[in-house]
Order: sequence, then structure tokens, then C-alpha cells
Amino acid sequence: MPKVAVLTNDLQYDLVNKSEERRDVVYSVVPRLAEFLDTLRSLDVLVVHLQLINRPEDPRAERYDGWLPATADSPGRAVLTDIVADVDVTVCKHQASGFFETDLDRILRDAGVQDVIVVGMHTQICVQTTAADAYFRGYNVCVPQEGVISERPADTQRALDWIGSYCGAVLPMSDVVRRVKDGTLAEVMPAPAS
Amino acid sequence: MTGDKITLDHGAGGGLSHELITGVVATTLGAVYVGQMEDSATVPVTTGRIAVTTDSFVVDPVFFGNGDIGKVAVAGTVNDLAVSGARPMYLTLAMIIEEGFPIADLVRILTSVRDTARAAGVSIVAGDTKVVHRGQADGIYLNTTGVGVFEPGTPDLNSRSLKPGDRVIVTGHLGDHSVHLLSLREGLGFEKRVLSDCAPLNHVVADVLAACGNGVHCVRDVTRGGLGTVLNELASASTVDLCVDAEALPVRHETKMAAEMLGVDVIYLANEGVLCVVADEASVSTAVEVLRGHPETAHTAVVGTVSAGGGHVRMRDANGRTSPVDLLYGAQLPRLC
Repeated sequence: MPKVAVLTNDLQYDLVNKSEERRDVVYSVVPRLAEFLDTLRSLDVLVVHLQLINRPEDPRAERYDGWLPATADSPGRAVLTDIVADVDVTVCKHQASGFFETDLDRILRDAGVQDVIVVGMHTQICVQTTAADAYFRGYNVCVPQEGVISERPADTQRALDWIGSYCGAVLPMSDVVRRVKDGTLAEVMPAPAS
Repeated sequence: MTGDKITLDHGAGGGLSHELITGVVATTLGAVYVGQMEDSATVPVTTGRIAVTTDSFVVDPVFFGNGDIGKVAVAGTVNDLAVSGARPMYLTLAMIIEEGFPIADLVRILTSVRDTARAAGVSIVAGDTKVVHRGQADGIYLNTTGVGVFEPGTPDLNSRSLKPGDRVIVTGHLGDHSVHLLSLREGLGFEKRVLSDCAPLNHVVADVLAACGNGVHCVRDVTRGGLGTVLNELASASTVDLCVDAEALPVRHETKMAAEMLGVDVIYLANEGVLCVVADEASVSTAVEVLRGHPETAHTAVVGTVSAGGGHVRMRDANGRTSPVDLLYGAQLPRLC
């Protein structure tokens, strides 16, 4: 059973294509992220895609010029095919944290997962809250610094600093892969919250 | 009771209104409700001076991890009375309900009203129910008006009574209510680690006043605007300076994490069950001992000192450096995007 899982956040067509600026930032990361995920799959790491589904009745869901992206019937809700493989699992969520009122925790526990690697967009929202939630639920948390995305680099840096201070290890992707291979990923992570 | 949702007719004053009031509201409130269904309630008071307060409650989400709008509406008004030194006795309960609101949810809220009123020892003496069209309200809003009595010998507690040498006491973890609700709203992951502190504290205040008497100069409940706002209001009203020690402030690790994530300052986050007590030097240790003896205020800490001055508030960090704690203008919005 996989001991490690990767959780991708919000890498969906509707969300990525919000603006040219955002699309450029995302696609500057996606090829390397896809390669990273392929490597981890080959190491028996479970890949879980956290897919934001906006509810029309949710007044707080972000609308783009009045249009609500990533609804249940929007084709653009799909996760980028660049990072998806048949063996992956997709979990729908409606809020920032991938654990909030979803089956994610049960899926991870059923799979025997103890260590989670959190990637995706935005570093300071969904990545940060999912990392915190995972930490509170007793998982070891790791965030590869090149695998997270914000439109503003300062937002990513601030969030990575926060994660590193409170709840997870922030490492280069190459270190993450090496440690997964060695079985030493948990050694660099802070102890899970009791 | 007909149907499982609130309809406009439930607020029209006719048969359905009567059915709602008698069959749902009065039945659920039980013995806590002592109203006579007259146009106004007539109630006895035992002393020559009363305290009156009113507050409206718009809570989002209506239900949270360890409470709901009903608990907040009773505890909030009870605490407003208690911090003036009064003994809360009577509450009114007015409800503005959106058409389509589930009656089962209304019962759940009324059950919280009943349980919280019972815990505080207050009665609901009058009420009102209005139903508005779908979309004209967000579920349910409550208003509670409270009446309390001053027993003979009750110290005169007010914001103008602070004196140089007084100590500032905070009775619980700052910001928990805000963090819990924000986390529920946005799915931030803190909602199971940080619960709301909402609680009626009238028995706590009564015990402190009984133990310390005139040694307690002021009590305030730390609600919207947080401790930062309370301290500024006190300093300004008494024309004194206040200095609080950052290291002494009771703040949960998770609340600190959440505040940093959101880009907000814990000192401005709201509570619904935390008091700021100002007492003279001779009464501080007794007050702290009494407060720590109650579960709701077990994390009481002495956090600051009052000095002569012109109404300024400062915070001292671990290195001894001080910085101003300014009055917050407007809402402190979380930085989410």
C-alpha cells in the first residue's frame, strides 16, 4: 500500500485560464510537475487531484466578471490532462482545504498514507490550507517549492515560509524524489500535530 | 406543525403564525419561556436600578462546530449585561427568518437558546417573528434585548474607571471564535482544532465581583474588534495609557497559525466568551484565582498595566520593544486571494 500521496490543488482548465498571466505562470510549472508526478507514480506514490467544484449558490465562490468557473457541469472543471494518469484519484471539493467535507481523509487512510506532498495552485490558499489541514489530521506534510503556483511570487514565498515554520517541510523536487526513493521523507518533516 | 419549511404565512399573524409560536417556539423553549403572549411582557424587578442592552446577530455560518446563532444571541446579550455588573434576568427574542428556512433548523436554534438561557439563569419573556421573502435575508437573524438588575453594593463598572497601577486581565484564548467561523466559511482546516469560545459568563463575573468588590474597576467582553479595540476604548475613556505584553496574551498555537495565514492580527479578532477585566493591584491575584476556577475562563492571564497618560495603547514584545496598538477602523478583512 502506498505510504506517500501527492495532493494536487485546483489545476483545472477553468481556473488556470482565468487570465493570460495566470496561464503563463501555471504552464511554466506544469511540464516539470508532470514529470515529478510520473516519477512518483513509478515509486508507488498515490496521486490525488483535488478538483474545486464551485456551487452556484455559494456567494463566496470567486466569479470572473460575473461568470462562475468550475461548476459541476462545466467542461473546464477538468484537471489538466498533462498531470493526470489513469491510476490517479480525483476528489471533488468546494472550499480551500481538500479535506473540508470531502472523502480525502478516508481515502488516504484506506490507502495507508502517512506522508503527503502538496502541490498546485494557489500556494497561499489551497496549498497552504490543505497542508495545514493534513498536518492537523496527523499526516507528515511536505511541499516541493517548485511544484506550487501563485501569480505573485511574494505570495508563494510567504506561504512557503509559513508552511516551513508551522506544519511541513519545504524542499526542492529533487530532494523529495530522492527521499521518497530512500524512504526518508518523514525524517525531514515536523512531527504531526497531536 | 404543517410543513417542514418556514413560509411567508408563518409571519403573517394568522393561524400558521400561532401554530409556529405555540407549537414550535414556546414548546422548544419550554420552561425558559415565561411570556404570556401579550403585547408586552410585565416582569418583576427587585432593585431600583436596571441595565438594558440590545444586540442583533448575523452569524455566518448559522451552525458551527460547537454552537449556533441561538447560543451566540443569548450569550452575547447576557455577557453585555454581566460586564456592567448587573445580574441578567430577562431576554426578549426576535427572529427574522427567510422564507424556506427549515423548521428543523429553527428548532435546533431554539434548543440552543433554551439551553444557553438555562445555563445563564435567564428567562425569555417576549418575542417576535418576521418572515421575509426568499433572498431578502440569509437564513435567519436574531435580536435579543436583555434586562438585568443591580444588586445592592454592586461596584460601578465602566470604561472611565481605570486608574494608573491597575492591571489588565484577559480570561481566555484570543481570537478563537473568529478563527473557527472563518475556517468553516472558507474551509481553511482549523475548524476542528479551534472551536468557538462562545459562552455566557454572568456567573463568572458575579463570582469575581463577589470576591474582589470595588477592586474590579471595569469588565468588558471581547467581541467584534477584539482586545485591541477594547483596550483603545478603555484607554480613551479613562484618559490613561495601557501597555500589554505580547508574550502574556493567551493565544492558541493554531489561532496564531491561522491569523498569520490570513494576514490578520489576533489582537483584533473576535471572541464570544472572553472578558477583559481591569482590577487594582491588590485584587489581581484574587481575581485571577477566581477566574481560573471556572472552566470557561481557565486560561486567564494578566496581560498588561495601566499608567498615567493620554489614551494610548502599546504592546511590548519579547525583546522589550513597544509598538502602538491602534484603533481598528473598519473590518479587518482576511487576505484570501
